[in-house]
Amino acid sequence: MNNKRRLWQIFGPVICAVILLIVVFLIPWERTFSNKAIYEAANSQNTTVFKGVKMKQEAFKRNYVPFYGSSELSRFDPLHPSILAEKYHRNYRPFLLGGAGSQSLAQFVGMQGTSKQLRDKKAVVIISPQWFTKQGQNPQAFDLYYSPLQTAMFLLKANAKSKADRYAAQRIAAMPTVKNGIIKSCLKKVARGQKLSDWDRFLLEQRQRMLVNEDNFFSTFQLRNRVNKICQKAKLLPNTYSKSALRKVADEQAAMHTNSNNLGIDNTFYRTRLPKKVLKKLKGSQKHFDYVKSPEYADFQLLLTQFAKQHTNVLFIIPPINAKWAKYTGLSQKMYQESVAKIENQLTNQGFENIADLSKDGGKKYFMEDTIHLGWNGWLAVDDAVKPFMATPNRRCNYDLSNYYFSKKWQNKKNVKPLNLSNKEALKDK
Amino acid sequence: MNFNFINLQPYSNPQYFIYLLIALIPMIIGLYNGKRFKTYEAIFSLVFIFLIFDGDHWQQGINIILYLIYEFVITFAYLKYRTKKKSPNKTWVFYLAVILAILPLTAVKILTAMPVGTVPFVVGFLGLSYITFKNVQVIMETRDGAIKEIEPGTYARFLLFFPTISSGPIDRYRRFKKDFDKAPSREDYITDMQYAVRYLFQGFLYKFIIGWFFGTYCLPKIAKAALLVGNSVGGLKLSWWVLAYMYCYSMYLFFDFAGYSLFAVSISYFMGIHTPMNFNKPFISKNIKDFWNRWHMTLSFWFRDYIYMRFTFFAMKKKLFKSRIRLSQVSYFLLFLIMGFWHGLTWYYIVYGIFHATAICINDAWLRFKRKHKKQIPRNKFTEWFAIFLTFNVVCFSFLIFSGFLSQLWFGWK
Repeated sequence: MNNKRRLWQIFGPVICAVILLIVVFLIPWERTFSNKAIYEAANSQNTTVFKGVKMKQEAFKRNYVPFYGSSELSRFDPLHPSILAEKYHRNYRPFLLGGAGSQSLAQFVGMQGTSKQLRDKKAVVIISPQWFTKQGQNPQAFDLYYSPLQTAMFLLKANAKSKADRYAAQRIAAMPTVKNGIIKSCLKKVARGQKLSDWDRFLLEQRQRMLVNEDNFFSTFQLRNRVNKICQKAKLLPNTYSKSALRKVADEQAAMHTNSNNLGIDNTFYRTRLPKKVLKKLKGSQKHFDYVKSPEYADFQLLLTQFAKQHTNVLFIIPPINAKWAKYTGLSQKMYQESVAKIENQLTNQGFENIADLSKDGGKKYFMEDTIHLGWNGWLAVDDAVKPFMATPNRRCNYDLSNYYFSKKWQNKKNVKPLNLSNKEALKDK
Repeated sequence: MNFNFINLQPYSNPQYFIYLLIALIPMIIGLYNGKRFKTYEAIFSLVFIFLIFDGDHWQQGINIILYLIYEFVITFAYLKYRTKKKSPNKTWVFYLAVILAILPLTAVKILTAMPVGTVPFVVGFLGLSYITFKNVQVIMETRDGAIKEIEPGTYARFLLFFPTISSGPIDRYRRFKKDFDKAPSREDYITDMQYAVRYLFQGFLYKFIIGWFFGTYCLPKIAKAALLVGNSVGGLKLSWWVLAYMYCYSMYLFFDFAGYSLFAVSISYFMGIHTPMNFNKPFISKNIKDFWNRWHMTLSFWFRDYIYMRFTFFAMKKKLFKSRIRLSQVSYFLLFLIMGFWHGLTWYYIVYGIFHATAICINDAWLRFKRKHKKQIPRNKFTEWFAIFLTFNVVCFSFLIFSGFLSQLWFGWK
């Protein structure tokens, strides 16, 4: 008797803990977020938010528009899209998604949770040719952005007959971050073109349930609060919107913040990221960079497939490289333009015609914040495209996709003819 | 054929414990009823060891098998030599046995320090050091005559004892055998389980919550800030962030490793084996010597018994040193240098060893001074707290060296 009681005393709490754990993780919990929390999340560029679902869903139901991009999104000078939208009470607010190293594949996974919320709506993509390296998605960066939750969502919707889904599954499974387990084995199945069994689906659903709860509970943690920063920077802007007044602010701010060097690079960036030793090493170091042949073109096609499925109206922005910096590192502008041409062909041939091509503007004054990131006047050029785009009403967009863009042939294709984007009619004829 | 290998690294994630505890159930029921199912235990251990070394880790699996055969040959050859009638018990034979026993570990330490890509095969395996420690200890005790016979089966189980295979705690053969040969009484076993559950949950708290917070959540951010600020200030690249890194890393190191050790002890207790504890509140140590009696205890006791003491006796017998103080100082340096080299052939591990040896010598000098001037030196609550505070900071600083972060900060590599 006595022993039995002792056993209960030892294992009773353990049993309670296990039951509690199951209850907490497997019960469908609901929660809502305050406007403030969502506003913080939208400007935080936090990986938890990127990997999560609930916050984004809630935001897109309201007036937030996703700005998919990478490290340029963190260049919060007063002309940053988030600050302009706030200051001039625009009818949209940017929801910043991405950071250093979030390339197409990571973005594709990150889009899986919000397909319903973005149906027939708008999105902005800042597509950097720097993503299109020989390797494509950097595996270490993928580790930072990999969302098991949204991969499970992808798998539960995946169609083993679709070329896009098979390709996506194969790409994700090849990332070292994806460890053995139900998700990886299902990815491999889809990649081979096999249907998931009922048991697979059951396990995936349980896993998804757990991950959804994790997302619900923890997505508001660790938010980077940039609200104060936005308010402070907004004060520097003129009270009524005027292009020339904004331009003046941009020039003044940029002049003040880039006076330590003659490369047009932000002082802090120059001091911390480019100390003499590093700077010396970088001279001429990018001569052999090539963005023309890359698996990224096929990964980028995944993004387009996702937009097409959602019928989302997308504005693509192609940023330039700081021309002085490119000259210093030896990066070839010809090669850069070739990759831009390839991206633009891939877009326009499939019906994505909202493109703001800024790729030739890297030499304009105060256009870039530092080496490869948009800033001041660059952000204003972005706004010139974003503002009219946001003013158009939401509509259902249909696209005409081709599996050709997943092929090795396209990934390695060279000498793609540049397009004249100003001639919309000519684009249609192609 | 496309095999989907299940590969499980010990205690690496919460799911692991579910598999482990399910597999333990028959053993627990057996021990509760006073029976030790040795065959089941062997199968259980082999399966879980197989799961460590299968799939991508198969080369390590081959290495461990070759290693075990090699060590068995040495140990039993030496045992045979020592237990034959009128064994000459030559010192050189003993030395040879020890050198041969640590040869694989030494080779691995050197090979892993070679530049990446120059060694064309996978060297070592998870837990090599700890198995070597156990093995050397058996050879030494065989030399002393403390171990007169070794059962090959029990010995294999001892070396491969699954809960402690990857990183200790380091058990002793005779202690292990005593536990292993019997099943505990029901009352005792219930007490064992009581501790096992407690240690398990304490381990969860340590490793998966506190250790995670310091190591995974804070540390990368601090490291990033320290590198960024360091690169902009130049010179020694020091900033307050480096100090933050020091404390954060120390906390991470303790909670991660102590958590791991608690898991190993907990699972051992479920199996009715009293694997010794590895940590005893190390951060309240009053001095460095006290610290080493509380930090990674099974390792420091191993070094104390088999390196420090052995060397001290050897040196006294040969009268190498006139002064006892000098002798103990040399022994400390020997001990900590070997410990440093064992951690890896990198400057910061070796500096870490020298740092601790120096600290312990200074501590000894201070204790001698204190003994001589008992009356003049105050002793109260404040001095005690000050001693703890000082020791804590010295230890944390040593961990900063140990972490290799300074190497990353100054030279850009770790």
